[in-house]
Amino acid sequence: MFVWDVLGKRTDGDEFVVVGGVKAPDADMALLLARETHFRHKEGVAYAVRRRGDDEILLGTYDHDQLGGVTDRSYRRQDAYAGVGGKLKRISADMAQRGLAIDSPRPQSGRVRPAEH
Amino acid sequence: MTYDEKVAAFKARIDAGEKIEAGEWMPDEYRSAALKFIEMHANSEVMGALPEREWIPRAPTLKRKLSLTAKVQDEVGHGQILYRVAEDLGKSREQMFDDLVSGRTKFHNVFHYPTESWGDVAVIGWLIDGAALVTQKALLDSSYAPYVRAMKRICAEESLHLRHGEDLALELVSGMPEQRAMFQDAVNRWWRPIMHFYGPPSNPKKDVLLYWGIKTRSNEDLRQEFLSTYVPRLWDVGISVPDPELRWDDELGEWLWGDSDWVDWDEFWRTVKGNGPMTSVRLMYRKAMWDTHAWVREAFAGIPSAAA
Repeated sequence: MFVWDVLGKRTDGDEFVVVGGVKAPDADMALLLARETHFRHKEGVAYAVRRRGDDEILLGTYDHDQLGGVTDRSYRRQDAYAGVGGKLKRISADMAQRGLAIDSPRPQSGRVRPAEH
Repeated sequence: MTYDEKVAAFKARIDAGEKIEAGEWMPDEYRSAALKFIEMHANSEVMGALPEREWIPRAPTLKRKLSLTAKVQDEVGHGQILYRVAEDLGKSREQMFDDLVSGRTKFHNVFHYPTESWGDVAVIGWLIDGAALVTQKALLDSSYAPYVRAMKRICAEESLHLRHGEDLALELVSGMPEQRAMFQDAVNRWWRPIMHFYGPPSNPKKDVLLYWGIKTRSNEDLRQEFLSTYVPRLWDVGISVPDPELRWDDELGEWLWGDSDWVDWDEFWRTVKGNGPMTSVRLMYRKAMWDTHAWVREAFAGIPSAAA
């Protein structure tokens, strides 16, 4: 078994950068694992592996249309949940109108001061 | 350069904000602290997949089944990524898995508890993944570079999981009275494990993980951010928090929680030491899978290296 660095390009104009690693017995398996573990959600347009200690970069064959699947797998990505923030606001307003929201002192917003109990 | 001088130079690099790569020299204390922490994180990802996995066959719709299955796959994938990071610190994946299923290493407290209803899936997805995201975002500033790269990927996926959980929770709170009650009941049952999520307040000056920059924020700092983010959201949708002592103190600028029934550090320690209500069942399940799939690992490792 060998250690392989996984490289990826987020957009066509980017250079390959190391995004992680996998352990695999050969290059084909390393590319398959890299694709499944690092590019399943359409995280980039190209992927590659490089055996640890080598200079040679081996490119994956899936192009950016194929990475992440060609069928509708939006449930794996943020875009499937677009509008959830707005839904929370609508439901909060509705609960307030119905007198169900809990009225208690709360911070305005943002991170609070670190505290040690 | 003596060992002590090398350690001092290493610490100075961390204090200056430099990142440490896997192949670099590092003090034994740094390696050991990073390995223990990352191994526990990896264990928690693979064990954390189990409580939700139990609900895949019982998901109420095909859409929910698909998204929950994908989430469980992501969590196991996080475990794989983190075990790879931990391996470079000097312990094999096989040894880490063996230590996990034998109960020699720990996993996160929340994954030792049962899931009793679909409301629990919503609580895990929204509040527990929300709590995890607070921790994991803080780890983007960790001093160990391979861990930071792993966290970048994991945080992106956890943000998706958070949306998924929020969507589930909102569906329940805006649904029928029975659905609201189911979610409220789940919040009540999970509140104590959630309060325990970050561990007991500790002295940041004595925390070895903070000293080496592997972690960048204290337990209580993280818990305060979680409470500030999620308690008001629960209140806004009419869901109460069962701890009667929990309140925001405007003067102190922090959340106060007392020594009530809702925070019990004895229970926390019993649980993470392997005596939680579902610990043995889940470890038994994980071990059965490990044993059943041994042939896959053997086939994988048996491919001649000349093929590489």
